[in-house]
Amino acid sequence: MPFAQSLLGSLTRDLPFLYGPLFLIVAATLMIWPGDVFVGRNNKRVWSYVASLALVAAGVIAMLTEPGAGFSNMFRVDGLTKGFQFLCILAGLITIVLSQPQLNALREQTVEYYALILFSISGMMLLVGATDLVSVYFSLELMALCVYILVAYLRTQERSIEAGLKYFLLGAFSSGILLYGISLLFAAAGGTTTNLAELNEKLATVSSNGNLLVFAGVLMVLVGFAFKVAGVPFHMWSPDAYEGAPTPITAFMSMAPKAAALGAFVRVFGTGFHGIATDWVLPLSFIAGASMVLGNVAALRQQSMKRLLAYSSIAHVGYMLLGVLSSDVQAGAQAIWLYMLTYLVMQSGAFAVIIYLQGKGEGERIDDFRGLAKRQPVLAFAMMVFLLSLAGIPPLLGFFSKFYLFKLAIEQGFVTLTVLALLTSAVAAYYYLNVVASMYFKEPVGEIERKPLSTAFTFVLTVSCALILIGTFFGPKLLDWTAKIVLG
Amino acid sequence: MPSMNLVLLISFLLFSIGVAGVLIRRNALIILMCAELMLNAANLNLIAFARHSGTVTGQAFALMVMGLAAAEVAIGLAIVVALYRKKNTITVDEINLLKG
Repeated sequence: MPFAQSLLGSLTRDLPFLYGPLFLIVAATLMIWPGDVFVGRNNKRVWSYVASLALVAAGVIAMLTEPGAGFSNMFRVDGLTKGFQFLCILAGLITIVLSQPQLNALREQTVEYYALILFSISGMMLLVGATDLVSVYFSLELMALCVYILVAYLRTQERSIEAGLKYFLLGAFSSGILLYGISLLFAAAGGTTTNLAELNEKLATVSSNGNLLVFAGVLMVLVGFAFKVAGVPFHMWSPDAYEGAPTPITAFMSMAPKAAALGAFVRVFGTGFHGIATDWVLPLSFIAGASMVLGNVAALRQQSMKRLLAYSSIAHVGYMLLGVLSSDVQAGAQAIWLYMLTYLVMQSGAFAVIIYLQGKGEGERIDDFRGLAKRQPVLAFAMMVFLLSLAGIPPLLGFFSKFYLFKLAIEQGFVTLTVLALLTSAVAAYYYLNVVASMYFKEPVGEIERKPLSTAFTFVLTVSCALILIGTFFGPKLLDWTAKIVLG
Repeated sequence: MPSMNLVLLISFLLFSIGVAGVLIRRNALIILMCAELMLNAANLNLIAFARHSGTVTGQAFALMVMGLAAAEVAIGLAIVVALYRKKNTITVDEINLLKG
């Protein structure tokens, strides 16, 4: 039995790389069965604690994993993997905290909700470490399939199902394009390998005399990834899915899958398609530029706060794609990681405010924020900090992450794109400040009762707000820290 | 051994039919089927080129893609059924509560 022995040998050698995501998968499976028999399906409080604990444990395990590569070079643990895994875990924890008020409106099926979040995060943790097109594709799908269900989770609400259907159909379409692109690259490389490092060498030799297969394949993979991160013109699903999904899931979608997909984006295009950069740099620049322009301009005329954040997140993705364009993969990954981390902090704070207001039957429309400063000064101040930081107003944390990203882009020679990014940032300041102005300078509509914030919410709000304000003083040191963390 | 260009041509035809179906047809179920057709076009490429080069990577990949396609259809059909119960239609043009 030499085959079985070698299989067992390689499994025992390589399995430790996957302990983090595997722990999540096992925990989520046990939660669905037999966990629900012992605890009861609807015991929201217990399930939220169990899910948070599982996430923290998986995060600790993943951070302690020794760097290395395994499974025939399909999975790799390095600084980039750990950095983005940390972001996904953090986003998951925030989502679970934010879910509490909304889930109280639901009568049943809460085990599945938490289990799906855990499954989806395990997919993301696998995705950011994947170094083979096979593992990239399947972990991407594990992540996406769970998010489709979560978007359509409120199955008695028409909006939620509609958002889920739209997201699902476009997602399935894009995954078809992505897979076809992968199959073309596989064919162009002679049908022997899907490993990113090996593909890089083969494709570079094949495409040196202009190969149509390689060009079409890379373009299709690019389109597939652009769909996942919602870059223009492949963003059509995102505003609808954001608006219709349960609000905590909207927060989740704008943080975790984006972080994971961008991490994979950097790895696939930086290490796998590095040798054929001429084929994809121009199209990707167009996607980045279009995302900045359309994201910011379309956000101007939105009445719904969730849609506004959806369009603004398209614009933020446009900025982050500058990091993917960078020919220095490590520096690009660092800049994206830093941007994503600060984005996560600001976004979670903003969504916490929206969800809190929504619990009282408002918070969807920008008009609901009118006069918030008079009714709840502390909340309004926190929201102002988040929005100003999202806009990238200089002393705040959001400014520094933008600064590093744009500096990198200029160093890499993307001057036109950077100028475009700066101009569109100015546009962005308008619609963020618009909300701030309506909180501070407009009269509230009617009398609205005050309800105390729950402890967990206060915690998220205070921590995010404090982080942004403290980060203001440490901005220049931030990149040094990221260098240490992401470089590992 | 058929020419590899022929394989590419056929898979491209399959893929184009899938893309055209997704873009033109308005029935959610047909769109779902066309998306599956796109996956199968990719499978054809994977299997043919793996066989051509005499390795198994691509064939294993194709097998797993089939499993994934089944999972995707299960989720898609569940969402379509939920929608049908609510609205009594699965025509995507009539699903316009959220405006892009």
